Amino acid sequence: MIDRFASGFDPFVIPFLIGMVFVLGYCIVGAIRLVFQLDHADRKRFLVSLITPKTIWKNIKDIFLNCLIHVKLWKRNKLLGYMHSSIAFGWFMLIVLGHIECFVYMPHRVKLFYYPIFFNYFVAENEYTLRGAIFFFLMDFFLLMVLSGIVLAIIKRVRSRLFGMRRTTRPSLLDRIGLYSLWLIFPLRLLAESFTAHISGGSFLTIPMNMLFKAFLGDHMNMLPTWWAYSIALCVFMCVLPFTRYMHIPTEMLLIPFRNAGLTIKHARKGFAKAQVYSCPGCGVCIDACPMSVKKANIKDTTVYLNRNIRRGNEKRIEEISDKCLLCGKCTAVCQVGVDGPQMRIAQRSIRNYGLDQDYTGFDISAMKASVSAEPSPGRVLYFAGCMTALTPAISQAMESVFRKAGVDYAFMDKDGGLCCGRPVLMAGRFEQARELIRKNKEIIQASGASTLVLSCPICYKVFREHYKLEGIRVVHHTEYMLELVKAGKLVLEKGEGSMVYHDPCELGRGCGVYEQPRELLRQAGELVEAAQNREMSICCGGSLGSLTLGFDKREDITRNALNNLVSGDPATIVTACPLCKGTFARYADRPVEDIAETVNRHTK
Amino acid sequence: MDFGFSISPSSTINLDKVDFTLYDRLCEIEPDAKKCMACGSCSATCTAGPWTGMSVRKVILGIQRGKESEAEKMLKGCMLCGKCTMVCPRGINTRHLILSLCRIYGEGER
Amino acid sequence: MKDNIVIIGGGIAGMEAAHQLLLLGYKPILVEKSDHLGGHVADWHKLFPDMSPAKDAVRDLEEKIKEANIFLETEVSFINRLKNGYNVMFTNGVNVICKAILLATGFNLFEASRKEEYGYGIYNQVMTNSDLERWFNTGDDKRINGKEIKKVGFVHCVGSRDVKAGNPQCSKVCCITAIKQAMEVKEFFPDAEVYCFYMDLRLFGKKYEDFYIKAQMESGVHFIRGRVSEVSENIEGKVIVKTEDTLSGKPAKVTLDLLVLMSGIVCNKQAVDTASLVQVKTDSDGFLKSKDNILNIIETDSKGVFLAGTATGPKTVPETVAEARAAALAIHNYLVTLK
Repeated sequence: MIDRFASGFDPFVIPFLIGMVFVLGYCIVGAIRLVFQLDHADRKRFLVSLITPKTIWKNIKDIFLNCLIHVKLWKRNKLLGYMHSSIAFGWFMLIVLGHIECFVYMPHRVKLFYYPIFFNYFVAENEYTLRGAIFFFLMDFFLLMVLSGIVLAIIKRVRSRLFGMRRTTRPSLLDRIGLYSLWLIFPLRLLAESFTAHISGGSFLTIPMNMLFKAFLGDHMNMLPTWWAYSIALCVFMCVLPFTRYMHIPTEMLLIPFRNAGLTIKHARKGFAKAQVYSCPGCGVCIDACPMSVKKANIKDTTVYLNRNIRRGNEKRIEEISDKCLLCGKCTAVCQVGVDGPQMRIAQRSIRNYGLDQDYTGFDISAMKASVSAEPSPGRVLYFAGCMTALTPAISQAMESVFRKAGVDYAFMDKDGGLCCGRPVLMAGRFEQARELIRKNKEIIQASGASTLVLSCPICYKVFREHYKLEGIRVVHHTEYMLELVKAGKLVLEKGEGSMVYHDPCELGRGCGVYEQPRELLRQAGELVEAAQNREMSICCGGSLGSLTLGFDKREDITRNALNNLVSGDPATIVTACPLCKGTFARYADRPVEDIAETVNRHTK
Repeated sequence: MDFGFSISPSSTINLDKVDFTLYDRLCEIEPDAKKCMACGSCSATCTAGPWTGMSVRKVILGIQRGKESEAEKMLKGCMLCGKCTMVCPRGINTRHLILSLCRIYGEGER
Repeated sequence: MKDNIVIIGGGIAGMEAAHQLLLLGYKPILVEKSDHLGGHVADWHKLFPDMSPAKDAVRDLEEKIKEANIFLETEVSFINRLKNGYNVMFTNGVNVICKAILLATGFNLFEASRKEEYGYGIYNQVMTNSDLERWFNTGDDKRINGKEIKKVGFVHCVGSRDVKAGNPQCSKVCCITAIKQAMEVKEFFPDAEVYCFYMDLRLFGKKYEDFYIKAQMESGVHFIRGRVSEVSENIEGKVIVKTEDTLSGKPAKVTLDLLVLMSGIVCNKQAVDTASLVQVKTDSDGFLKSKDNILNIIETDSKGVFLAGTATGPKTVPETVAEARAAALAIHNYLVTLK
């Protein structure tokens, strides 16, 4: 392979260079800014993770699997997965192979930024090169792969349903410019490489095209304009990229290391939060997933619109979207970049100004401490039912019965009322107040001398698990605890008649990752049928405390939709493990709804 | 001439002089506030009630009767647990009503 | 006269309408899904304001409608519309061609267990108004028999005026029923303290106010203005009621030996299905829809279909009886105009 031009330069590379320098500069500056926006501890954590072999490996693996192969999309829809990975992985391979090619044949040109990109224009084949026909083949192969992805992308714009998406977002003007320039890049590259294929060589795609063009165009002077066009398309795409949804491509490569470093959202708009906002590809899979979007309601209140409005700085809409959300977390479960919808919203709620702040420091808990205090004993169990359970007394009654049957030494911490666990305040973004409640409850629990704390409410369970840090005290949800009792032989479940479906409460399932224990219990108590969508895909009952603004009358459709999903297998009973889900479903259900504690109690002697 | 006192005792609610600004502002955000029929369910179930005497019903009434400071004291103890919202027979979103009130308190001065 | 008239529902509305139609010379067909006539009234003990036995009222009506065709344990399976009437098929296999249909389908008592926070079906000492009437009638209920009854509470508006229970309407009769039952309980247990937990006392009918005064003066019933929101149980099996005494503005708590829930009147779901066979819709309150709610409560938008009693909303016994008579006359007038 030999240089066609001694200078190794042609003016058509200038647009590409402008675009490349701009986008690289933008991303590097942006990345540095985001890292500096992290608070001191988080920044340190992040930097340490970058030199820790375990996280380095995890980062590489995650970036490869998510950004190039798009494994999550493959799981969702094969066509959608292929479309994304063919473009991303194909393009990536074109770039990598281009550089290898350059390195092998033109090592002295590698330092030129643009050279590998426009390799085929600058070189001419000679006999020596033919040995490298494998490169030509691979380059054509990956170009074809990208082109097939582009064809699918064009089809998707017209018929998104084929790709498993019912509702999607409308792209903005800049998004469209980015989209069309992206679509143009690869056909133009094909044209450009085909026009030069008789000089620089080609393979199964470019050689026949070259012969075809020659047959009816004849003039090889078409060569340069197509290279110009290719370079300009690249320039346009790279110049608009930071202002379009395609910014998610570079941002995700930062979000993954952030997440792997174990960062949490500390500031509503900066650092980790900003990385989440810009990682959102605006695809809209969260629209179909959102429980509020039933009957085409609240579509513009989904996570994709939260991110869009944060980008645009529309404070009024940010507030509306943040406050309406049920915080069920389903958008996060389906999101291929893993934008944390609930946490993002809680962060937005936390930066509000309040004229009046709650203050619980004056609450005197000495009487409560005295009522539970006992000598520490390894077997002693403390049961905390939580506020909501006071309205569903069948649950606490069943729990007490289960404790007695299993011969457990227990104390009922809030039988006569107690303090709230702090999760609802936390959901409202009032962190300081939540800390005070946690501190007070911790004092009471520690005075009890218990070694195990059992919770029947997943809302409480989540905050106890994540924020209480009760040393020496094990925190378990009643689904886990009752299974332990069964496994230890303290409780004997008898199989009964009638089928049951289990509803995964948001806070227990997606919130705490407890899916298997309740099912194991129910399988021993009777026939367990599954809902159409379950586990991570479970649909919120609509009763969630997560939403601040959604009124009672707005929730009925959400509940009915969730119920329809649950009864798809026609179970005799609906079983859940949350007092709020129970109360909400019972309002509209056409069959009995019960808590798993009641089910277990019914099936034991 | 105003001597700064009058013969009517201060415990009287003078509806002629009650300032409805706060209540009107609340109703803009959460119009369901007007639905309250003072049944007392919210107060009876309130988790904060035993600690602070919190009662959403009394808060809503208080700001319509010129008793803002009493309402303020009660609001401070709310733990936002949402039980009052669950029991309200008129379906008022009391939790949001409380949060909204806390936000608009002293809005004019800010 | 040979015109057939089908009356669906053998409660007091259907019975009284049948009685009047017999007097007018018709031979109505009365279908009732249960095994006895009289509906909810037949299950009741005494009726306010005269405190006359409900059984007597039902027996009286039964005597008067002996001549009618009565199908017990029978339901409507299908209704076909004809040119000037309807073809009604019953579950007992009988097929009738009639000129007019009277929907006297009545109401359902709200299922108290749906308000889980009140503990019906969970705690031992919680019963409903209808359970208490059954005890008055039969003297058999383990929640009362053999128990020391010293404190009794009545919760008004259970499943009424409550959007959470799906019924925002006032059930109209529970206030006076609660007062009646409170006084009756006081007669059985003169030493007991009796509490009525109410939101508003709606005592609109003839002599109702007298009842209220009597309950205050003679029976010494305690009236607490506050809606109960939670009920719990103590170790001795007594129920603890949490409410707000809204008049003193303080949360209140009381331990009771017996709690009676005043289940409200809700629309009869089965009646809605039957009514839809003759294109009668439900109103926004969930009850059957009249032509209008002022002058034509008995009439519907469907030709030859009439309504009477609690099918259109909560009503007292005298109101129901008056409406049944009016319906009979309306049917008669309708049949005359057909000729």
